[in-house]
Amino acid sequence: MDNFFLLLGMALFTLVLLCLYRGVFGPGVLNRMAGICAIGTKTLVILLLMGFIYNRVEMFIDISMVYAFLNFVGTITAAKYLEIKGEA
Amino acid sequence: MTRVTDDIIIRAVARILIPFIQLYALYVIMHGHHSPGGGFQGGVIMGASFILYLLTHGLEEAKTRMSEIRAGVFSSFGLLVYSGIGLLCLILGSNYLDYGKLSTVLKVIPAQARSLGILGVEIGVGIAVMAVMFSIFFDISTGGILPEDEEDLGARDG
Repeated sequence: MDNFFLLLGMALFTLVLLCLYRGVFGPGVLNRMAGICAIGTKTLVILLLMGFIYNRVEMFIDISMVYAFLNFVGTITAAKYLEIKGEA
Repeated sequence: MTRVTDDIIIRAVARILIPFIQLYALYVIMHGHHSPGGGFQGGVIMGASFILYLLTHGLEEAKTRMSEIRAGVFSSFGLLVYSGIGLLCLILGSNYLDYGKLSTVLKVIPAQARSLGILGVEIGVGIAVMAVMFSIFFDISTGGILPEDEEDLGARDG
């Protein structure tokens, strides 16, 4: 079962790299923002998979909840900034 | 950034989420012995919940919940709790923040006094970090200029 979680995590890591490419080189601010938000959700799942591998899910759930919340606040902040300043 | 916008979905989601986020922040502070977390992390979550409130409900409404003056008072109070417990240990005849001696005041065994002392220090750190996080966001987002200050300046010029 650990190997399955490990493979799943590696697949998600590859997807994170693709999103990172979109975040760094993406044309325009909106593409960058979408890429970074996608990285946040994938990181959350990777954290939970790490919890399953180390048999400490209850510990990693705490971290992932905080991560999800801060990701939410960051998304709202970026969206509000773009709404007020316009797409730069 | 601090302007009110008419986005009903964001406001409703924030109104539902913020109490649970603050409850979770208290859990992180209180449960810091057994799981990742502690005073600083819980304070950051609590401060982020106030930041979320300011983002979604605007500056005027957020100032009724947490104004800049209140943030300053809270940060000083948190530091007072932290350094007060430390100095209490110093007065009782041990090192700074050596909680074992608190057992004579709290009337418990030294091991329990250490646990309670660490909890008190973490609560102090949590309050201070919460207030400072909010204060930093407040200062950056308003650029240090509050709307009533602008009105005052205008009145003085006229």
